[in-house]
Amino acid sequence: MGENDVQERDTQKGKYVTFKSGNEYFGIQIQYVNEIIVYQEVTAIPESEDYIKGLINLRGKIIPVIDVRLRFKQPPIEYNDRTCIIVINVKSTIVGLIVEKIAEVVEIRDEDILPSPTIGHTDKVQQKYVYGIGKIGDAVKLLLDPDKLLNDEDLSLLEQASGDVAEEGE
Amino acid sequence: MAEEFNTEGMLDMYLFENTQLLERLQEIVLEQKDEECFDDDSINEIFRTMHTIKGSSGVMMFDEITKVSHKLEDVFYYLRESHPQGVPHLELVEHVLEVADFITNEMEKLQNGEAADGDATEIIASVDRFLNSIKGDKKEKEKVIRENVHEEPKQFYIAPMATSASHFYRIYLTYDPGIQLANVHAYKIVYALKEIAEDLLYYPEDIISDESSADEILENGFKILLQTQSSAEELHQLIQEGYELKKVDIYECTAKEYQQGFDAVGSEIRIDLDSSVEEIQEKVKAEREGSPGEPKEPEKAGEPQTPRAPEKIAPGDFVIESKEPGRAKKLAKDKPKKGEKATFISVDVNKMDQLMDLIGELVIAESVVLQNPDLRVPGLKLDNFNKAAGQMSKISTDLQNVIMSMRMVPLTNTFQKMNRIVFDVSRKLGKDIEFEMIGETTEVDKNIIEHISDPLMHLVRNSVDHGIESAEERKAAGKTEKGKVTLAAKTESGKVWISVQDNGTGLDREKILAKARKQGLLDPYKPDSAYADKEVYQFITLPGFSTNEQVTEYSGRGVGMDVVVSNLQAIGGSLEIESTPGEGSVMNMKIPLTLAIIDGIVMVVGNTSFVIETGAVKEFVGVREEMLQQDPDGQEFVMLRGEAFPVLRLGSFYHLPDYEADLKRGMLVIIEVDKENVCLLVDRLLGKQEIVVKPIPDYIRKVDGLSGCTQLGDGSIALILDPAGLIERCGKEQ
Repeated sequence: MGENDVQERDTQKGKYVTFKSGNEYFGIQIQYVNEIIVYQEVTAIPESEDYIKGLINLRGKIIPVIDVRLRFKQPPIEYNDRTCIIVINVKSTIVGLIVEKIAEVVEIRDEDILPSPTIGHTDKVQQKYVYGIGKIGDAVKLLLDPDKLLNDEDLSLLEQASGDVAEEGE
Repeated sequence: MAEEFNTEGMLDMYLFENTQLLERLQEIVLEQKDEECFDDDSINEIFRTMHTIKGSSGVMMFDEITKVSHKLEDVFYYLRESHPQGVPHLELVEHVLEVADFITNEMEKLQNGEAADGDATEIIASVDRFLNSIKGDKKEKEKVIRENVHEEPKQFYIAPMATSASHFYRIYLTYDPGIQLANVHAYKIVYALKEIAEDLLYYPEDIISDESSADEILENGFKILLQTQSSAEELHQLIQEGYELKKVDIYECTAKEYQQGFDAVGSEIRIDLDSSVEEIQEKVKAEREGSPGEPKEPEKAGEPQTPRAPEKIAPGDFVIESKEPGRAKKLAKDKPKKGEKATFISVDVNKMDQLMDLIGELVIAESVVLQNPDLRVPGLKLDNFNKAAGQMSKISTDLQNVIMSMRMVPLTNTFQKMNRIVFDVSRKLGKDIEFEMIGETTEVDKNIIEHISDPLMHLVRNSVDHGIESAEERKAAGKTEKGKVTLAAKTESGKVWISVQDNGTGLDREKILAKARKQGLLDPYKPDSAYADKEVYQFITLPGFSTNEQVTEYSGRGVGMDVVVSNLQAIGGSLEIESTPGEGSVMNMKIPLTLAIIDGIVMVVGNTSFVIETGAVKEFVGVREEMLQQDPDGQEFVMLRGEAFPVLRLGSFYHLPDYEADLKRGMLVIIEVDKENVCLLVDRLLGKQEIVVKPIPDYIRKVDGLSGCTQLGDGSIALILDPAGLIERCGKEQ
């Protein structure tokens, strides 16, 4: 069992699911990805952040989905038949990512990954979710940190909220 | 056999069994706390409980627990053997509870994966002092009381219940070489002996499935080690020589010899222990060397020892029990008699939840099939289909009911805990309080029980601390000196009502009003008399509201009641307060029976489906634009039968896309919670349906007024509205 795990992780190592959002291609390490499904109708949740599109029913499991474009503060686009949902599992939080188009699964060696440049680009929202840039020949993929993608400022918000509650409870 | 020594499984079992034993122990103790002394049955049961805990803790090598339970066992051994008079009962009760608390605490640590590192020295010392004091009281009558010597070998040998009256026998049976199936004959004997055995070992071990054991028996005889209360004659009665049984030899032996197994006597009897046993032997030896001799309780000097008490066993002097019937016997003996009860198995809650989810899925899948649009072909004959569908619906409803009932547990344990709290708090505050429980067998969903335990504890504590006056005050008020707290539970119209009633002072209306006025909670233009009692009492549920000037150890800080109320609201419950000055107050909790499946009304606003619990809906009204009126603040009202109801347009409230702003086809759903009403304006109603409540994923921030989500018959998702939350929110916005 344990051995299999290690093996599986080995075969997954260095592999990235890449997708297109706006003009750029992004990559997510494959071990975070549970599955990829075609876009299905989303039930909106009122009063949530705009990038949280709502809930979908994934074979009886109800999971939240977020729109990656909106997360990157890119203008929304109409969903079409190329629109996909990448279901990722980050520290047992299962979330669907709505992306414009799935590109491919690529292998990027560690030495081909450069740290993301910080000069001049700091104002770009998507920058903070990118931990590195993978080179494949001439093309580059922006490698996403899924944990930051999901949580980031929301987390601090949440913490703040729970902190308030704790104070009241004293 | 090796898995017997897998301590992980053993730890779970240990915790599970001992938790139950301790719960039962507390129950007995609290039941009789007001008596003069414990009755014989209880003394025996407490003794046995402590004995079992001691034994199993010894096996698990939790030394402190072993020591402390041993000490308490000593006390009860003394009580049992010499029936001393004039034992300070309350002191005894406190000692028992103290020990029980210590063990519970240690077990909690174990449960959380920590080490049981508590120090019981003080408790042991105080119990010891107590034991000496009750012994000292009756020095003059001194009988020869055998000290309860630690009879179990402490480790590895899963000890039988050795009582002083036990006899140990070694039995050899020789069968007629001509008979068939000697193993079956041997099993017959074993079966008969099980009835009287406290511990039973035999060789060959596997006589049921291993047929070659028959030859073994014919060749070498069948050997039994037996610990029992019966005499040798009785054994001879039981095992009679017959045509198949040539010879029966029964030898009585000492406990020590007994524990050495078959090898001790007669070198001609060689026993081939199979390899796994040898492995265990090795392991045991190794472990024993790793943890050299446990501290043994100091024996009381001058106390005669039980002749049969085993010496400290030498390495290797142990008997491995496998699945011997003797053990089953032991468990049956130790478990408290619980009258006529069905057999239980404990199931992992996760599995139950899984089953629950699956049944939920099944119910949904069923409605997908039965309401499939493909069936709506005009002129299609569906008679047989409908018949079959009806049958299936019936089964799935039954299935749902069964799983629901499986999750229901009686409130007994929760109530018992309250009993303990009343006892503790009243003792500390020096109040004499009687505690009564009514309807503690009322069954509630397990999830709900987890949620009400804290609020209930708070209410009970409040009643004891603030509700009941001190004895002098009570006397002055012409009341009985003894206060009374009543905890009652009942089910009514799909809800559970739990009330905490005390016969104390009751709430002080004037004081609460004064305080509320000070905090600016009252309308300055409204006279005090305009507030109904109920309204006034609700103030105490607000955060930071306490009229108690004195902060005691237990309450008075003004937090608490608000937490109680918010805890209750979280599970869809509510709190009602009634009070009569000078006569006491009643706190009524109203709680739903279950959280998992609710009966709901499905409605649509724009593209979004919502569900609201049927119980909260008062009525539906078709609405036209002219029925709605606005007050100067922009709040909309609808006048129905001369009454004004605030209107909440769900579409604009939640900023939903595509809802019908035009009121030609709208529908008003009037919901009522705690006498407060609000009308939800929705586009249309879809129908009534049983729905399985699922939580909204944690990733999404909590939205006011939404309590969960569910899957509808067509697989789409609907959001579940929380009526209380909506009304509250509506109030805030006004």
